[in-house]
Amino acid sequence: MNQSNIFYLFFISVLFFSCAAPVKQWEEKSIIQLEGINPLGMAKTENGFWISDSDNNNLINMDNDGKIISTIPDFERPMHISIFNNEVYVPEYGTDTIVKINNGEKIKLELNDSLDAPAGVDVLGDKMGIADFYNHRILFKNGDEYSSIGKEGHGDGELYYPTDVQIFNDWVYVADAYNNRVQVFDFEGNVKQVIGADQGMNAATGLFVSEEYLFVTDFENDRVLVFDNTGNLLQEITENMNKPTDVILANGKLYIANYKGKNIIVLE
Amino acid sequence: MKKILFVMFAVLFAAVSLEAQKADRDNYKIMVDGLGCPFCAYGLEKKFKDFKGIKNVKIDVETGEFTFTYPSDKPLSVDKVAKQVDLAGYTPISTEIRRADGTVEKSEDVEEVVAPEDAVEASLFVAGNCNMCRSRIVKAAKSVKGVFTAEWDKETKMLTVEMDDSVAEKEYVARAVATAGHDTKTAKADTKVYKQLPGCCRYKRIK
Repeated sequence: MNQSNIFYLFFISVLFFSCAAPVKQWEEKSIIQLEGINPLGMAKTENGFWISDSDNNNLINMDNDGKIISTIPDFERPMHISIFNNEVYVPEYGTDTIVKINNGEKIKLELNDSLDAPAGVDVLGDKMGIADFYNHRILFKNGDEYSSIGKEGHGDGELYYPTDVQIFNDWVYVADAYNNRVQVFDFEGNVKQVIGADQGMNAATGLFVSEEYLFVTDFENDRVLVFDNTGNLLQEITENMNKPTDVILANGKLYIANYKGKNIIVLE
Repeated sequence: MKKILFVMFAVLFAAVSLEAQKADRDNYKIMVDGLGCPFCAYGLEKKFKDFKGIKNVKIDVETGEFTFTYPSDKPLSVDKVAKQVDLAGYTPISTEIRRADGTVEKSEDVEEVVAPEDAVEASLFVAGNCNMCRSRIVKAAKSVKGVFTAEWDKETKMLTVEMDDSVAEKEYVARAVATAGHDTKTAKADTKVYKQLPGCCRYKRIK
């Protein structure tokens, strides 16, 4: 190889690596301290959050600074919640039901199947996914049709105490908590992807997926893992993590609910 | 006037009935160690709700206080209650029962033991995941005669004990924690016991 070729190759390499986009690193910007609230589930509104305080059996609406706007009491262990069309959906672990909040009123949803300790719910249009904890499955509702995604086990496509679910594009993302991973299914229940199984997670309790990222709360290891949409690990967030249970990305900000820390960490 | 009297009697009757109902029930309070994961802690609450006659079941994840009421004509003993909590995969520290007739029964206080200077330290690998595992493993290790102290590290999975090696051996400790449901390199948990552990405690088994 002559000198001019070497120079040419070197120039191309420099050009290539300087043009490659740097991976965004999420950095902590603020902490929203919550008084007397152990946040488990979280959903973003335009002006703040809905928080499920499962220890105290409350659903709390607060502004972006953590100031309480209203409290809906008397749930039986409200878990990972969802908002669709300004209605909040709340899985009640203690009563095996999904409750919809409409103008402050609780409406119990009629389902064509029974649940055993629902730990998470997501609603998107006419679709609903419910993380059915003790049944080791996702109860999936597509229009008027119901189906089961997953069954108890540790293999691909099997679930072990799922705690959170999100419907995104044409896929169902599942926090497969005690298999310590996330699994991605199509609407027919076929597994497409297994993410994070090699990351040594200990209780993958919550997740949030966007076009670019998948965020997963690693509860017992006090960290949140950030993956790209092909499952490559981009970042491990550990600062001020104290038993994180839920995570959401909204308006360019990342919000992490610390169950034991009684706060929400805000990153940008 | 008749209406007012009727309402007064009705309210009085309801109040007396409620008090009578309370008087027919015993109050149970168990302190449970290691609760940290709400998904599993609420499971204990849920499991006990299935018992016929049980009411007012509540668990406080932060303090570990687990309470319920039960008909006083079907009294449960301190030991039986602790055993039920144990069987559910949780580690009871203390039990207190306030009977409907006013008497109080308590489990024995567990004294903190200080290892003597000539105690021998030993370490062994014990599979587990969380704080509930820690409580169970430590309790099992301390149940071995001659073991003074025990600590289990969740990150390294190493159990460290201080013991009188003229009475206790590392292998006795291994067998005791395996009996409680946790694999060691020399003693394995019975599969039936392992499967009864709460979900968050189902560690990856040692092959």
